[in-house]
Amino acid sequence: MKTSGWIFLILSWAFIIGLMIASFAIVLRKK
Amino acid sequence: MNQSHPKPREQWGTRFGLIMAMAANAVGIGNFLRFPVQCANNGGGAFMIPYFVAFILLGIPLLWIEWGIGRFGGKYGHGTTPGMFHYLWKHPLAKYVGAIGLMIPFALVIYYNYIVSWTLAFSVFSFTGKYSSIMSFQGMADFLAAYQGKVSNNYFPSIATAFLFFCITHFFMMWIVSHGVSKGIERLAKIAMPFIIVFGIILVVRVLFLGTPDPKFPANNIVNGLGFIWNPDFSMLRQSNVWLAATGQIFFTLSVGFGAIHTYASYMKPKDDVVLSGLATGATNEFCEVILGGSIAIPVTVAFFGLAQTQAIAAGGAFDLGFFAMPIIFQKMAFGNVFGTIWFFLLFLAGITSSVSMAQPMMSFLQEEFKMTRKTAAWILGTLTFFFTLPVIFFLKYGFLNELDFWIGTFALVVFAIIEVILFIWVFGEANAWKEINAGADIRLPKFVLPVLKYVTLAYLAILMVFWVLQNGWDVVTMRGVLPADSPYIWFARFMLIGIGVCMVFLVRIAWQKRHIIQQRIPE
Repeated sequence: MKTSGWIFLILSWAFIIGLMIASFAIVLRKK
Repeated sequence: MNQSHPKPREQWGTRFGLIMAMAANAVGIGNFLRFPVQCANNGGGAFMIPYFVAFILLGIPLLWIEWGIGRFGGKYGHGTTPGMFHYLWKHPLAKYVGAIGLMIPFALVIYYNYIVSWTLAFSVFSFTGKYSSIMSFQGMADFLAAYQGKVSNNYFPSIATAFLFFCITHFFMMWIVSHGVSKGIERLAKIAMPFIIVFGIILVVRVLFLGTPDPKFPANNIVNGLGFIWNPDFSMLRQSNVWLAATGQIFFTLSVGFGAIHTYASYMKPKDDVVLSGLATGATNEFCEVILGGSIAIPVTVAFFGLAQTQAIAAGGAFDLGFFAMPIIFQKMAFGNVFGTIWFFLLFLAGITSSVSMAQPMMSFLQEEFKMTRKTAAWILGTLTFFFTLPVIFFLKYGFLNELDFWIGTFALVVFAIIEVILFIWVFGEANAWKEINAGADIRLPKFVLPVLKYVTLAYLAILMVFWVLQNGWDVVTMRGVLPADSPYIWFARFMLIGIGVCMVFLVRIAWQKRHIIQQRIPE
């Protein structure tokens, strides 16, 4: 895999995991 | 006490249950099969640029709009779009336009649930080793064709097995919805979603540790498989097809335009949060799609078949990948039966939770507008969907299912999404819509989201619609490439859809004629 492929993979995963953690963290806090 | 006063509606048991149910609605077979194929065929990593642009500008806004419309309708005792649109647009036609939101999930469930039954069957076949002797792509193609009744061979002499699995799946779906929102759908989602995620993680870990399965072919490895999906080909971004594919994928994966989210959201309390819950649902779906779905099927196919053959498989579509390539791959792995069972059962769980969401709008309509008990509504809906699925099962080889899928799974979703954006933002009014979405919100939406909802999302949908019509519409309408022998079945599919649409309009008319007292007011 090219470096650019790794960059896309890492950025995409980071965006999604970040969004998921952030949204569920607030959901749990507001429970 | 007035007899016709609406009874208290069902509600979700917990917020977590609601998010799990909404996520389970969105996560479907497409997350694990359609996404990796679309990604691999449309520029790899570069595909993720239009994909995330569509997620932010189209997917998330549509989620908020549908959640908002749904919760709004629920306040007036309506779980389906005829009633919801009636309050958004105070016009006699509104309820009939809303009938599209009944037609879509009803038509979807009659063919989608049949596909879901294949995954259950293949899970059982994998466990029992029914296809363990098949080691070729063509062999699996013959196996599936015989299962579907397209041909008769040693694997399956008739379509009876497929029919049996459909009956089991259908009964299970109706059994779940007959238990209601909290005790049926929510309970299923709370069990199924963790299993989907755990099974997905097990498969991803297994795949990532496969390395190079055959040392004689060092290029066939997992890292190259990931590269097949993620290496960006920026030249592809100049092609409108890639942007359309990414936008279409976001549309299908979030299950927007189905009418199902409206119904689920209608069971929320009036001040329950829409913004954050919608976001959490979208994020969960993306986790299942990009991280789990993108790391299983394509990388493992490259590792076992190599790049060239994987390209051919991906070009053949999602079913070639899921039902032909994956079973062979599992045969070649240690404990392949176990992993094959997990794979297909994961697809079954993802599929059945989506089927249930497609069945619920009609359940809600029958219960609320015709005052039926849940059991009666389930029996009627179960019987109707059973008989409507029969032509899908028996005419599959004539392209019956594909025809339904184009008109409902592609065309109608976009049309419906355009209508709901216009009604909610433009007709109901941007101020009312904004207030509705933000009511009870746990996070405040920035002001710039409103023009995105009002202009960008709508323009995005309109462009998507125009391009689809230009690229595919005319060929489908004129049945280009359809064999003359298949033509009567294609027409049958079209007339069936028209018939379903007319019946829905007729049902809405009857419901409104007999209807209970409806408060004729719109919230301030």
